[in-house]
Amino acid sequence: MKRLPLRKIAALLLAAALAAGSAAGCGAGSGGGAEGTESGAEGTENGAEGQKVGADGTENGRDAADGGEQAMGRFMEEEAALPCEMGEIYDIRKLDDGTVRLIGSDGNGAKSAWDSADGGASWEKAYDFPEELFGKDQGYVGYAALSADGRAACAFNDTADGKLHAVFYLLDAGGKAGRIPFELPGGSENMALGICFLGNGQLCVKDAEGAVYQVDVSDGSVKQKHEFDSSQESLACYAAGEKLLIQTGSEVLVYDAGSGEQLGKEEALQKAMSESGRFYAVDSIDGGESAYFLSKGGLYHYAFGGSVAEQLADGSLNSLGSPSCYPISLVMLGEREFLVAANDSSFGTATGVVLLRYTYSADTPAKPDKELRVYSLYESKEMRQAITHFQKDRADVYVNYETALSEENGVTLSDALKTLTTEIMAGKGPDVLILDGMPVQSYIEKGILEDLSGLIPEGDYFDRILSAYQGEDGKICAAPARFSIPMAQAASGTYAEGESFLEFTAQAGVLSGLDPRETVEKFWYGSGASWKKEDGTLDEAKVREFLENLKNAYGEYEGGGEESGNEAEEEEAGDRALRISRGGYSLASGKAKANAGLFYGDGDYDFLLAVNQMIGDGQLGLIPGQAERVFVPLMVLGISSQSAQKEIAGQFVSYMFSKEAQGFSQGGGLPVEKEAFRDSNDGHEYGGLEELVMVSGVDEDARVSYAMRPRTEEEMKWLTDLAESLETPALCDGVIQDVVAEEGEKALKGECSVDEAVNAILQKTSLYLAE
Amino acid sequence: MAGKRMTRKGARGFFWILPSFLGVLAFYLAPYADVVRRSFFGAVNGQFAGLENYRTVFGNPAFLLAVKNTLRFTLVCIPLLVAAALACAVLLFRSKYGGVIKSAFLMPMALPAVSVALMWRMLFHPNGLLNQWLSHLGVAGCDWMNTKYAFWVLVASYVWKNLGYDIVLWMAGLSGISESIYEAARVDGAGEWQCFVKITLPNLKPSFYTITVLSFLNSFKVFREAYLVAGDYPNESIYMMQHLFNNWFREFSFDKMAAAAVSESVVLLALILLLQKAWDGAGEEEKKLARKSRKTGGSGGRLGVKRRGKK
Repeated sequence: MKRLPLRKIAALLLAAALAAGSAAGCGAGSGGGAEGTESGAEGTENGAEGQKVGADGTENGRDAADGGEQAMGRFMEEEAALPCEMGEIYDIRKLDDGTVRLIGSDGNGAKSAWDSADGGASWEKAYDFPEELFGKDQGYVGYAALSADGRAACAFNDTADGKLHAVFYLLDAGGKAGRIPFELPGGSENMALGICFLGNGQLCVKDAEGAVYQVDVSDGSVKQKHEFDSSQESLACYAAGEKLLIQTGSEVLVYDAGSGEQLGKEEALQKAMSESGRFYAVDSIDGGESAYFLSKGGLYHYAFGGSVAEQLADGSLNSLGSPSCYPISLVMLGEREFLVAANDSSFGTATGVVLLRYTYSADTPAKPDKELRVYSLYESKEMRQAITHFQKDRADVYVNYETALSEENGVTLSDALKTLTTEIMAGKGPDVLILDGMPVQSYIEKGILEDLSGLIPEGDYFDRILSAYQGEDGKICAAPARFSIPMAQAASGTYAEGESFLEFTAQAGVLSGLDPRETVEKFWYGSGASWKKEDGTLDEAKVREFLENLKNAYGEYEGGGEESGNEAEEEEAGDRALRISRGGYSLASGKAKANAGLFYGDGDYDFLLAVNQMIGDGQLGLIPGQAERVFVPLMVLGISSQSAQKEIAGQFVSYMFSKEAQGFSQGGGLPVEKEAFRDSNDGHEYGGLEELVMVSGVDEDARVSYAMRPRTEEEMKWLTDLAESLETPALCDGVIQDVVAEEGEKALKGECSVDEAVNAILQKTSLYLAE
Repeated sequence: MAGKRMTRKGARGFFWILPSFLGVLAFYLAPYADVVRRSFFGAVNGQFAGLENYRTVFGNPAFLLAVKNTLRFTLVCIPLLVAAALACAVLLFRSKYGGVIKSAFLMPMALPAVSVALMWRMLFHPNGLLNQWLSHLGVAGCDWMNTKYAFWVLVASYVWKNLGYDIVLWMAGLSGISESIYEAARVDGAGEWQCFVKITLPNLKPSFYTITVLSFLNSFKVFREAYLVAGDYPNESIYMMQHLFNNWFREFSFDKMAAAAVSESVVLLALILLLQKAWDGAGEEEKKLARKSRKTGGSGGRLGVKRRGKK
């Protein structure tokens, strides 16, 4: 009996310990952000004020949202003035005397150096590069770099005798130029692919053969040479005071500039590179004890030998993370201010060159207190670009862009959609949905999407495309911000604009040699919209007609199948692999009789017109399909009815239809806003420039060369009228498309009969459609 | 006083089962009640729909096909599995290596579904191992998973995977039968077949109920393999209820899912109750037989084995 109280006490103590342990666990969880902000632990202290300058507020901001104290302080971006309209910026650097010096060329190609005594607010010309050395007739400046004492080095590609010779010049602080007696091995076969000044005054040169040289500029002698084998090619070299950073495809190697010895492996630097991507620019303000570097993740600071690279400016909150932004040079004006010279077409400058100033604002929350979640199955560069610009105007909003499918994560479409369903129904789903690849009609019927009718700003749009998903009640629950056009191209004897599917496919073998699966998919876009009957099933007669005629046009499968693209073309995901310009090479070289695919703009028009010229009497028009005047809706936007941020989501969707966002062009489709549509296709950027000739393609027998020039009014009218005439949205249904492509491919290859393919299509899709 | 003690005892018993009951309430009964509620409302808008969801579901060809396939699969698989497992169990029970071989039969259960699915693909792909073997024998192969054979592949897979588990259950049931009964029957002149029919089978009736219910429930797990091999839209012969639920979930068709789930649960419950009733009936019959046996004073009467010659 006496033991019983002891047992009870022990039980109570154990229960209390368990409860305390659980509570501590929860506490640790909620404080995870604090632990996660390891960058903050070694943050850059700001002297007198003792405030940490860091983007670790991204974590602290989450704490704030959880009810904790909100972390403050963020680098704010603004566009800084350039000395003139620059054609190119080679380098920009803060000199020992505090002056900021910039070297570059203006729109006419004249090269100069400019100084700014007020941190880049105003500029005065320091000197012009001597015309007799740097004139257009002599060649062109490949790369140029500034040293801290004001000297400039130029890697000049001399083409005076018709061959390319890499010549190096040194310009003193006053602009007096002299040749550096250094030559790259390999003669005209080799050239410089990057230069920079090290803290000890040596010039670092990276050549086309992957070697990096440390050159004494006074006598041209090579002090150090760093060579890499083919498995570890050097990509770029950067200077951080007395240290040389060489970036390879997989890591960053750090060398002592004086001894040339490789320093220990900087694990934190490797980790930063693997997480945020390659570096674009590096600077140091303490002689090389630490380095600041730019990547798509933003600005980072790393003390050599340290355990962490601290993110100071989050690239997702400014232009640094935008896919259109390519930093050229970084200048740290201090710990709280820096300049970035970059190429970024989204700023609307004629040449795309911009100078961006980032100033630390202690009063701004480290992370915006409002979060908008944008969800997409596939990555969209236009979306990333638009998010960057939207956030600049709305400093209080953080747009969290999630893409579900990538090659890395291996998630299937079905799994991604099920996860999305779970999140939405749990009230934790995204606010804005990019519905490409999703069952849009089903979502509309289920009431998942809000009406967008009042959100699309007044403007001149392709109305029929914009209202592709308008319901009978007038509601627009989903609207495409972009589109592509299924088109065909061939010599006039083979194809005429407006030709019907039956007429075109009656020509036996007209599509022979093309990839069978891609051929089925391309023509399916032009036909699928006519297949669905009123009862929701597929029209067997239409499916049979499609495959029978396509089989006739394809002829006998001879194995292999012509690559629709050029070998040099990068692998493109999803439907972009079906873009029409990829098939132009085969048509131009005579390997194929016809070309078909999706017209996305972004250079497609120039290319296709050039192909038309090459084949003499080329014809371009809508794809001959069973449906009339088909377009493919892209970047279909919707707002979740379960969104907790409907107002901001509405503002974001509205922004996506604004002229600014519509004007972003990264190959993701044609804008639905007419002015932006015109701007993205009319080649206005080539106006007033010398004629540029684009040579496209690696295979010598399949090259297309053409002049880059503005399109004529007639050409633009034709294209605009064509877009205006589009009225039928393609059947964008991944399940049906996959089945048709799979069975159609078998039929075209002769692995099964057309009858078998038709039956398989109907059987497999009937289940899906019946659900 | 006695009544008071019973109340206290009852209360104590109630507290013992309370945690478990709360778990069942929170994780089964309450969600099920929510599913029943949802079956009468719209998917996302939450508007009352009456019996419309049920009408939609019962008019849906995909649902009807899935029900047909699921029933067909169950009706083919369960008897096949139960009978095959019993036969194996009886043979193994008599073998001195039964214990070792029994473990070998359990191996398929230890294999991850993904491995099994990959194996399937290798075997039944148009260019897979099975077609290669058949071609060596001069027999033309086919795309097994895209023809009506897909159903039989699924049946074979189910039986192969669950055979060991059922064997173990049957063997547990066999070991519970007293050897003295067999001895008495043999003394009375019963042969092997008679012993099996008159002693083994009647004594295995309780196991039969458990094995049938467990096999029935396991039959739903075969979806994993079917899904991993053939995806969301397999050949229509192996399109099961779980495929339909899976696809409906993806498209926010919670209204249809709820109505179908309630309908299915009602059918399942009815089937299980039926089995239970049959079991209870068997139990009653067994008790009657036992009573009769005590009166007649021998196991032969109880088991219905006719005594021969000794009167």
